[in-house]
Amino acid sequence: MLLEFDVNGIKRKLDVDPEMRLIDILRDKLGLKGTKEGCGEGECGACTVIIDSVAVNSCLVLAIQARDKQIITIEGLEKDGELDLLQKTFINQGAVQCGYCTPGMLMSCKALLMQNTNPTEKEIRLAISGNLCRCTGYTKIIRAVREAVETGGMQNG
Amino acid sequence: MDQKLKYIGKYIPIHDAKEKVSGKIVYVGDMELHGMLHAKLVLSPIAHGRIKHINISKAEALPGVIAVFNYKNSPEILYNAHKWIEGIEVIRDERLFTSHVRFFGDRIAAVVAESKEIAEKAANLIEVEYEELPVILDPEIAKKADSYPIHPDGNHFFSKEIKCGNPDEKMKEGFLTIEDRIETPKTHHAAMETHACIADTDQIGNITVYTPCQVIFQVQLIVSEALKIPRNKIRVIKTTTGGSFGGKGQPILEPIAAFLSYTLKRPVKLVLDRTEEIIATRTRTKTIGTVQTAVDKEGNIIARDIHMLVDAGAYTTNGEAIAVAMGKKTFKLYRIYDQRYVAEAVYTNTLIAGACRGYGSPQIHSVTEINLDNVAKALHMDPVEFRLKNLVHPYDKDPTGGPELGNARIIDCVKKGRELFEWDKKYSRPKQAGRYARGVGMACGAHGNGYFGAYPDFITLSLRINEEGTAVLKGAFHDVGCGTNMTMMQIVAEVLDLDVSKIYIPATDTLVSPFDSAGTQASRVTFVCGGAAKKVAEQVRAKLIAYGAKVLDCMEADVVLEDGYVWDCNSIDLKISYGELAVITQKRYSEEMGATMTYQSPGNPTSYGAHFVEVEVDTMTGRVKILAYLAVHDLGKAINSGFVEGQIQGAVQMGIGMALSEEITFDSKGKVTAGRFSRYHVINAPDMPEVQVELIERLEDLGPFGAKSIGEAATVPTAPAIINAINHALDVNLTVLPALPDRIMDAIKSKTKERV
Ligand code: FES
Ligand code: FES
Repeated sequence: MLLEFDVNGIKRKLDVDPEMRLIDILRDKLGLKGTKEGCGEGECGACTVIIDSVAVNSCLVLAIQARDKQIITIEGLEKDGELDLLQKTFINQGAVQCGYCTPGMLMSCKALLMQNTNPTEKEIRLAISGNLCRCTGYTKIIRAVREAVETGGMQNG
Repeated sequence: MDQKLKYIGKYIPIHDAKEKVSGKIVYVGDMELHGMLHAKLVLSPIAHGRIKHINISKAEALPGVIAVFNYKNSPEILYNAHKWIEGIEVIRDERLFTSHVRFFGDRIAAVVAESKEIAEKAANLIEVEYEELPVILDPEIAKKADSYPIHPDGNHFFSKEIKCGNPDEKMKEGFLTIEDRIETPKTHHAAMETHACIADTDQIGNITVYTPCQVIFQVQLIVSEALKIPRNKIRVIKTTTGGSFGGKGQPILEPIAAFLSYTLKRPVKLVLDRTEEIIATRTRTKTIGTVQTAVDKEGNIIARDIHMLVDAGAYTTNGEAIAVAMGKKTFKLYRIYDQRYVAEAVYTNTLIAGACRGYGSPQIHSVTEINLDNVAKALHMDPVEFRLKNLVHPYDKDPTGGPELGNARIIDCVKKGRELFEWDKKYSRPKQAGRYARGVGMACGAHGNGYFGAYPDFITLSLRINEEGTAVLKGAFHDVGCGTNMTMMQIVAEVLDLDVSKIYIPATDTLVSPFDSAGTQASRVTFVCGGAAKKVAEQVRAKLIAYGAKVLDCMEADVVLEDGYVWDCNSIDLKISYGELAVITQKRYSEEMGATMTYQSPGNPTSYGAHFVEVEVDTMTGRVKILAYLAVHDLGKAINSGFVEGQIQGAVQMGIGMALSEEITFDSKGKVTAGRFSRYHVINAPDMPEVQVELIERLEDLGPFGAKSIGEAATVPTAPAIINAINHALDVNLTVLPALPDRIMDAIKSKTKERV
């Protein structure tokens, strides 16, 4: 099928199998390897991307479902060589260890802040409940989101 | 060094933080080599049997398939992936592909194809007919002499006794003796990056292996042994590692990928999916422990007898080493002078065990620390009081003659924790009636710092300040995500008084990294490798001073080194940079501003921790909620405070899983029933408490800047502290980990029955 969609602000047209998973399209067809696979069944969140402002597991999305959608991947967070505020606060707070969960974690947190500029701790925990991290115990990730909220400057989208 | 520390103790982000948050960092699964092929493993769908027929013709016929390998066309050489250095005796029982499958997940074949999709499709076309053999899942059955042998010499392959004093005699003198039998589960490491590897072979047969490993020289050794290829023809490059926790310690995929690439003379990539990761790599060793502790009336422990049954799973790997390692810990936490530890290790038709964060410490401490709470209860003593009476003191000796404990500050940990956690108040709080029962628990733990006293423990490092005034530290460091590289950089920065951003650690590569005896194992990195980094930096510092004095024409004692500049304290206007000094030194004295040296570990002190936890148990469902968590650790000195806190918080997450939710389960035929994250429950953010961290920084004499290990030590007290809290809340005695809701409900029911 012909897949037309927008990835990180760039219009793309690809000829793909309609059954192909979005994660494979991003990684193998577009070379966007920042999106990771940790389970392939929607249980770990490593593959999270933002589709039309919602955090979604890209391992569960098929090409046909990605049609005409606006997708943001981890590669789309940085703007003009400058890291997104959340990326900076992840570094400041030590929310990154091995880094494998980080892209998915960041996309879930970004989607949360796109919808809710001042989430409570509980809301943050809920927003990343589908993102497993084996390194950090989540505390520093939650602090990083708090810091991003408190630093302000968080533009919607 | 008594001046104020500039870099040590600070939080400085992990060296590759920016690449990680931007998604640019390259893990091995992200790598593409020209002409690369993709491999897929075929794993056994039964737990025990022999292959009668294997039909690969359909797979081979699939367009895009390059080759299929199984026991018929692969090396028969037996190896043990646990062996990390030449000279260690091991039982060799693993081979690349087997005809005798011993567990659900044993490797029987690999397909290599032009794409991963084709390889997967072809793997499903392989037909195997098995002669099924009796399946043994229970280590207590495996232990019996007449159990059906999984390996030719039977299932009981190892036993070991470690003893001090005269426990049999002393045991009789006890005012009371409490016995417990505690089971700990087989668990999955659950690093978010699954095992993956690429091997590439050049025209003359040199193999390069790219792998997120813990010990490059071990990978080289095992590939060499498994393939019978000289070590010098094998180059191993460590890639960015997406978590390991011991799971990537033993080379599992590397010899396979190397074989495939070597045979086909093309690059081959092998990436496991999560189910393969769970069943076909390694697991935390399951144990069944029985312990008897005898105390006098005042609560002094007078003797203890411990027996551990170690379930190694289907192959030996580190079954012997871990059985011994667990035992050693039991002599380093309490002042018990009459004690016996006996371990027996057996094979079962279950997933292979291996190293997993804590290397047996979380298991043995679960057994002993849960038992100690039961002892305290029988004595009607507060468990904190009881422990304080018996814990080791700084500089106590190991009663078995093992390495000295060093500046052992576990008593400080417990006292600090009692105060911060408001233990006394919480522990004695009257129990509320109703559906939700609250309780508090605590536990202590001990863990080592390297291999000193057991195995070779040394590392060679090379540090050079170049002409631009930046420094390169070469060594076989294996940062698995916990900040090893930055830890080393901070140590070097501190000694040289050079900004941390000016220190660079190149990739870890057998071809260029100097030799290291053991890699990221045994909690040795901060203590041993960090000690080495400090030493080599001191040698370079001495050179800066010596040549600085010559060039500045002053006394060595007058040379000042600060922030990358050197000057004579009597003439402050002439400052030369380290780079300039390096250039002058090269030109005038034909000497470089660098040093290379081999550092031998000076000891193996013990790291300690005490965890305090408050739980709420729903007595209708058996679900446990953690309300408060405090971890207090004696780590000598935190080199990077942020990393230390992160290590502890992550370690607690793993420990909570072991206590409450994580268990690899099997059906009666040995098929894994928890082979995916939907059935294997890793603690997620809503279920994770905020872990409060408190550090006792009483410097360890032998550690760099006083530091000792933390990453493994931090997961040791977690599970027993939680079980003790549940036991306290419900007044029960849970003996099987994890404390799943069903098990808790059973304990509640049997207690109610007892009362009737
Ligand atoms: S890879 Fe998609 S949720 Fe785990
Ligand atoms: S940082 Fe390693 S899994 Fe989250």
